[in-house]
Amino acid sequence: MVRDLPEPHRVCVKWGRVGMSAAFRLVPVQEVYDDLLHRTLSRISCDLGRLIYLASTRDYNTGNYYHEGLASRFSPEVARKALELAHRQAFYRVSGFSLEELAGDLEAYLRSTRENPQEFLRTWQKLEPYRIAIPTEVNLTVARLFTSNLRLALAILRSRQEPSQSHR
Amino acid sequence: MQLPGEGRAPVIGTSSALIGAVVLLVLILVWIRADSTLRHPPSVLDAWLPDEGDTVEVCPPEFVSQIFSGQDLAFISRLESPDLKRHFLRERNAVALLWVRQTAAAIHRIMRRHLEASRLSEDIEFAMEARIFLQYAQLRLICALLFLLIGLAGPQRLHGMALSADKLTQRIGNVLREFESGARTDEMDGARSS
Repeated sequence: MVRDLPEPHRVCVKWGRVGMSAAFRLVPVQEVYDDLLHRTLSRISCDLGRLIYLASTRDYNTGNYYHEGLASRFSPEVARKALELAHRQAFYRVSGFSLEELAGDLEAYLRSTRENPQEFLRTWQKLEPYRIAIPTEVNLTVARLFTSNLRLALAILRSRQEPSQSHR
Repeated sequence: MQLPGEGRAPVIGTSSALIGAVVLLVLILVWIRADSTLRHPPSVLDAWLPDEGDTVEVCPPEFVSQIFSGQDLAFISRLESPDLKRHFLRERNAVALLWVRQTAAAIHRIMRRHLEASRLSEDIEFAMEARIFLQYAQLRLICALLFLLIGLAGPQRLHGMALSADKLTQRIGNVLREFESGARTDEMDGARSS
């Protein structure tokens, strides 16, 4: 049984072949993960944003992960594994947030989208798009805790918006 | 002639039967409520969540602690919104009940696998089997109590009980894993010697 923990340093090291060149270079998934972390994920300001970004690298039809830059630098297979691992790590990290932390992170994500806050909150409450952020094989209770906490965080932000609207 | 206290016995009998019936009724109502919370989750889209049969992983202990902790309730209470508080309690109860159901199902699956393995094993230790069964019975009882009490007291008051159930699940899992690896070694030794 593999236990997923949010800390990046606990990523288990797996190996993959890189490129079709004469000299096969064995690259650990950890190396690709670090590359992803430093080049891409570090540019995203909040954890929820990172999670949604990673979920967006997954093909809806096949469930496979793909990232053009990583696939060309390393190999599609190792990139896929690193993305999958990063997605699970990000998911467990956000699921482990307290409601206060999650509400703060959701607010940061909302600001980063530059959308109209009322419209954003209404759409997210109605469509629940954050459900696509759940990795394929995760514990059911944690998945449910994640959706439940996001529903609550949205309700909290909406309740903060409502008094400010009524003052206008 | 009537002896002192002779006529009281049926009264005590009737009142304790009445109390018993009321307690039983309350327990049945709580059970029905908990069951309906699970059957009718807050959102219809919850049916989308990963299938229970596919997940073999038990819930990590840090999440069990989080589900039953009072930290989030304290935060919600500070917001002073009765609607938000009601929403929170409904959501958290549903998650806690799901965890109880998942734990009971996981331990049931583990025990079934163990029974199948025991049937094939030649050297069964009675003391060990009895210990495993007692721990299993204890865990089933805790799960049943949690299922009833979550609706009555809320998950936040059952933090210790939930953590002890989680530890017990892990302990049974470890014992059975050791048992299975021991059985496998015996099989390999047997195959080598024959």
